[in-house]
Amino acid sequence: MIQQTQYTPTTSKYNFPQARLEDTALPTRFIELSIRSIKNAANHEETATLYQPYETLTEDNLNPTEEITPTFQGQTRLKLNTIPLKPSAEPTPIVAIDVSSIKIGETQTGILLAIRGAIIWKNQPHHKYHYLRIGPFPFHITEENKQEINQLFHQHNHEAISANAPSLIHMQTRITSLLERWLQTSIATQSQNTLILLDGSLTAGTPDTPTSVLAQLLETARNRLNTVLAFTKTTRLRLSGHRLTDLIQNSKPPCLLEMDGYPIATSTTIQFLGNIYVAKLTQGNCSFRLDIDRQLPHEQAVEATQRLLANDLLADSYPETLRLAHIYSTFTANEVIAIQRLLAQQHGIKTVTRPNIRRLLFGPFGKGPDSA
Amino acid sequence: MRLYRKEGNTLHILSFPTENIEKGDYLQIEDPKQNKALIAQVIDVQFANVPGILEELLRDSTSSQGVNGQDFDPLEVASHITYIQDARLLVCKIRASLENGQLSTSSTWLPSRSQSVIKKLPTTALLKLIKINHSLPIPLGETKDQSPLNIDATALDGKLNIVTGKKETGKSHLSKLLVLSLVSHGAPVVVLDLNGEYAHLGYGADGKKNEHNNRVNVLTPSENFRVALAQMKLRVVLNILIHALNLPGTSAREFRRIWQFLDERAALTLHELGEAIRNWRCNQHVRDALFSRYYALVNSGFFTDNPSEALSLEECLQRIRGGGALVVNLRDTSLVDRQIVVEYVLGKLVDLLTQQKMRAVFLFAEEAHLYLRETYWDDIVTRMRHFGVFTTFVTNQPDTIRENIYRQADNVFLFNFTNEHDLEAVSRAAKVDAETVKSIARDLPAHHCLLLGAAVKDFPMVVRVKALNVQTMGQTRLFFTEKN
Repeated sequence: MIQQTQYTPTTSKYNFPQARLEDTALPTRFIELSIRSIKNAANHEETATLYQPYETLTEDNLNPTEEITPTFQGQTRLKLNTIPLKPSAEPTPIVAIDVSSIKIGETQTGILLAIRGAIIWKNQPHHKYHYLRIGPFPFHITEENKQEINQLFHQHNHEAISANAPSLIHMQTRITSLLERWLQTSIATQSQNTLILLDGSLTAGTPDTPTSVLAQLLETARNRLNTVLAFTKTTRLRLSGHRLTDLIQNSKPPCLLEMDGYPIATSTTIQFLGNIYVAKLTQGNCSFRLDIDRQLPHEQAVEATQRLLANDLLADSYPETLRLAHIYSTFTANEVIAIQRLLAQQHGIKTVTRPNIRRLLFGPFGKGPDSA
Repeated sequence: MRLYRKEGNTLHILSFPTENIEKGDYLQIEDPKQNKALIAQVIDVQFANVPGILEELLRDSTSSQGVNGQDFDPLEVASHITYIQDARLLVCKIRASLENGQLSTSSTWLPSRSQSVIKKLPTTALLKLIKINHSLPIPLGETKDQSPLNIDATALDGKLNIVTGKKETGKSHLSKLLVLSLVSHGAPVVVLDLNGEYAHLGYGADGKKNEHNNRVNVLTPSENFRVALAQMKLRVVLNILIHALNLPGTSAREFRRIWQFLDERAALTLHELGEAIRNWRCNQHVRDALFSRYYALVNSGFFTDNPSEALSLEECLQRIRGGGALVVNLRDTSLVDRQIVVEYVLGKLVDLLTQQKMRAVFLFAEEAHLYLRETYWDDIVTRMRHFGVFTTFVTNQPDTIRENIYRQADNVFLFNFTNEHDLEAVSRAAKVDAETVKSIARDLPAHHCLLLGAAVKDFPMVVRVKALNVQTMGQTRLFFTEKN
């Protein structure tokens, strides 16, 4: 029978869900790195100044074209198959993980960002949702410490440390990815016979998602009879110029649009570790790209989606658990102010708004990011 | 606290929950570079418009509706989030500017937004700054920060005052306090007591005579307050007939002749007046009109032909010249009789004051619209004031007092009002802006009064009115309490 998942922490501090976590050093190092980087920012300058960006960059708008899509080589080889779905009444725990990061300012030596993760779970169809929110962790990333973060990232991923860390602007994605993968791994390790919902795709081989890491995550999940379902909110998947998510519009929900015949890799590095579906789970106009572990039998993937239908609330084809994970991890403007206040109060880092060069130069014609 | 915005004489100040600022508090906004400060009063406390607050509340509402969980927040950012969520915006009105220790009402300068230091100004410090004269103190009670607040009796001298607030908020209590304080400072006070609330001012809460007993005289019409016609002047009688009893002009002219006829013969009695009307050669309609008013006078029981029963109001007023209260108990008196008595008392007061027999008198009029004729309102704020009648209106229906009275009121003692219509009426007072009145008065607890005007040098202050050792008579008689 299904094990009762234990996500709740056992200690008041450092209470990550770490019942059987393989790499428990990560959260401790993560927090230490956060604190140390902030302290360094404060110590570096006589009066540390944080320049507030014109707009607060979240990971979404930082890298909006992150999605890597397969190239469909000739329509004749690609088969589209609509699979009608029926809710499967088997009680199944649902867990969703999401991580958000936000740039909260710049210093003279680097950037300040904050990261937060959220895990939402639901054990029975009629049970309440639960959440564990981790963070926010402010980070001051400089040319000096970015290598350390890079090292942490590679150590966690059991990879050889690359000589060059990415540029500062990409460190936000890198560090966000680090926390996200760690949370996903710890959930995959602790839960059993559970549906694990992820935000994004199961595309591997990018600098932020090494193939080995994602493959390991999926394998861990499989070994514990878990199924990973990855939802991509906005997809660029197209066939003959048409968005694939539009091709499912005429199908009666709930259903999956299965694609067969596309390559499992776009290059020597980029690999699709999941089968790509288009999911239309409720009435309405919304449908999403859904990646399900390629190693799972087709029937199990469909069954997992049917269990999702029965065990979670769905609005606009999107699972409530994942929606809540997004809501709980996302930063609000107030939280950004709160972090800036914390930095000012505890570390003497004062926030000032950098002059808007566009406005200075072009006056009302200077359409900067803050002028809608 | 940080200065956020200034619009006209309104300041918006950002404050945090730990700073514990409430409506009515005074703040000092000090600009160290300019060596000046603004004195401003908080008239409203709002939530600061923090960006992203809606998202957070929506997220929190998700938690309260069925999402349980916890936060792992090792850096304790949550406390900062809560702190910012609870940030307040203090809406303040500039009351004065402080330069070299001197107050001035001019506030043409703008304090620095980044450099200004904002602190709460304790009432004691404010009172020291505004220098309220304390030669004849009237202790009203305590402010919110437990500072005693005294006003000076001279602030009521020669002034027009209004005490208003909804029922059971403590208006009569404050009026009694003012009456007794004025009396103790040697002032003559006349109270037009509609409900007999002041009749026991001379008795303590325990029912025994208090220290004011020998200075409080209660006159109850038809009982110990009756007058002879000979004591009255024609003008006063005509006022009663015309204004209280609606005697038409033609009949009034005949009455004047009858009165002069009787006066010449020293026969001004009720009996002779009745006979004269009966035998007077005049139109029958006029005679009927005069007779109906005559019987109204007779039936009021206020007039007597028996000299031993007749009271000399002049003597009573002379007795309180050195300090005392004359309470005219209008309880259980009909509307017409009430008007007759008030016409008589006011007429007599004006006579004495005109003849310089009295220096001045403080008149307390409870619910004056129930006995004061229309033309008296203007009289009180213009003519009678110059004679030395300094009126304090006490009412729970602020719209019964005319707008010009509010505009000319020197002091307003304002208790709680929640009704918009009432607040609108009171906000016409010229001594303060409408926003202050509406915002502060709406939230005043019982027995708390907002003082506006000369008594507080135009620095509105909230005071909790102190208790009085007098027998309470203004309370509503309750059915169930009596049964028990």
